[in-house]
Amino acid sequence: MHKYPHWPIHLVLVFVSALMLVPFIWVFKTSLTGENIFSYPPSILPKDPHFFYYVDVWYTIPFFRYLVNSVIVSAIVVVANIILNAMAGYSLTREFVGKKAIIVLYLSCMMIPFQVTIIPAYLITKELGLLNTHLGMALPVCSTIVCIFVFKASFDAIPKSLIDAARIDGMPDWKIVFRLMLPLSKSAIATNVILAFIWSWNNFLWPLVIIRDQNMQTLPLGLSRFLTVVEDTTGALYAFCIMVLLPGLIIFLLSQKEFIAGLTKGAAKG
Amino acid sequence: MQLIKKKRTRELLLIWFFIAPSLAIFTLYRIVPLLWNGVLSLQFWSPYKLPEFAKLYHYEEMLFYDDAFWQALWNTIILMASAPIGIALALFIAVLVDTQVRGRNIYRTIVFMSYPVMTVAVGIIWQWLYNEKVGLINYVLISLGIIDRGIPFLESFDLALPCVIVASIWQVIGFYMIILLSGLQNIPPSLYESAAIDGATAWMRFQRITLPLLKPSIFLCFVIGIINSFTNFDLVYVMTQGGPGHATDLLITYIYTVAFKLSKFDYAAAMTIVNFLFFLGLALLANKAAGGEAGAIDVGK
Repeated sequence: MHKYPHWPIHLVLVFVSALMLVPFIWVFKTSLTGENIFSYPPSILPKDPHFFYYVDVWYTIPFFRYLVNSVIVSAIVVVANIILNAMAGYSLTREFVGKKAIIVLYLSCMMIPFQVTIIPAYLITKELGLLNTHLGMALPVCSTIVCIFVFKASFDAIPKSLIDAARIDGMPDWKIVFRLMLPLSKSAIATNVILAFIWSWNNFLWPLVIIRDQNMQTLPLGLSRFLTVVEDTTGALYAFCIMVLLPGLIIFLLSQKEFIAGLTKGAAKG
Repeated sequence: MQLIKKKRTRELLLIWFFIAPSLAIFTLYRIVPLLWNGVLSLQFWSPYKLPEFAKLYHYEEMLFYDDAFWQALWNTIILMASAPIGIALALFIAVLVDTQVRGRNIYRTIVFMSYPVMTVAVGIIWQWLYNEKVGLINYVLISLGIIDRGIPFLESFDLALPCVIVASIWQVIGFYMIILLSGLQNIPPSLYESAAIDGATAWMRFQRITLPLLKPSIFLCFVIGIINSFTNFDLVYVMTQGGPGHATDLLITYIYTVAFKLSKFDYAAAMTIVNFLFFLGLALLANKAAGGEAGAIDVGK
């Protein structure tokens, strides 16, 4: 290929990166200093940084409570997704009457965005007595169709001879799924964990609808509520922002490859 | 013979037992709600008394008397129509990070970073960037001498929606970039080499090779853009709550307000049905345009 100078490309990319990074950096800076009125000359580095706003957030709002709620809901969703999707994915690798109908049904369900179901979903959750509960927040996303097909594809790729051998050895089918096939589907599991985690951790609309109890609020709910009670110029709000962003960002940076692969697989999820 | 039959029965039992939980969840939280929405939309509903049949009353009110509904629908369409801007920008960036420049992985990470971040936090960051008095954007514009006084971006009827759209593009652009990038990397380099030998300029190569071969990825981005415009509740809710007036209300935020702030479940259900049909029509259209490829999952045998 032709040789071309790299510096114009760098120039453009640095500019783009700046546009993407500056909001984060500025929020971080404000969370450390609380200064919104800019000093001359404007500096990227915070002057006299302190952690008072973080301490504030920790003590004045039930941050820990929110965090625990978020973790509980996400944990339920992630574990349920792996188990239920693997089970359904396995069933779809087998032949049985009605399989075609099930696949069609699942694919049509993908065309129903969760957002168009909120009103009856609220009424159903109320009937089940699950308003203001962790399970109520988790239940609708405890299984995801994309991930079922991810598992199915992964199971299909396992050599038949291996499964037959296990069967001849007298391994019951459920054991074959959980002891043999699941451990061989590491990348499918990674996709599941990442998608389920992202969807439940960031989920806002559904908890907003079914949670009234202060003690049951998750991080995004707490954050949006905090916005309505404080002046939107205080450092505490941005400290809260950073505390909410940081765990997700760290997980993303540590497992970038799986993250991107997972999100691309779940791309067109409705 | 008996033994084989018995075994097969046990197998079938297991298969259905395995599929039952997910099937139950989808029935309970996708199919039943969709049908229930249909029923609700034809009723006068209230939590305190038995529902009455309302014929098409809610649909009539929505289509002929509710300006806010039309505004929300229009805003949703504008948000959708802005997707190509984001996709074009993302394509530009994707082409640049697909070259051999040093540090391309770092650039990719930085551009992508805003996507997995919690949308509520993104909304808070952006409503602060747009702030009239202390926002960074006004600060930059003032120091460049473009304006004298801060502009209240999110309180302005004309500017609020474009501002929300910019924030939404900012968040999703990295994701578009990743999808387009994986499309770019699937194009065999030999095509470019032979075209270069035939004397094709870089622009011609982009037009004749890159764009046509990238079509599936571009369509996938487009489908994501469509889905986004129907589901982007968080950003609007945090940044503007649909205001000023209904200037930034999307269908989904308006439905939320009507259902859970005004407690008009029946009316909101009717809007949901219209919203869903609109979405379905577009999704099918996009799928057809892409030759059934966009967002298709590999169902296997």
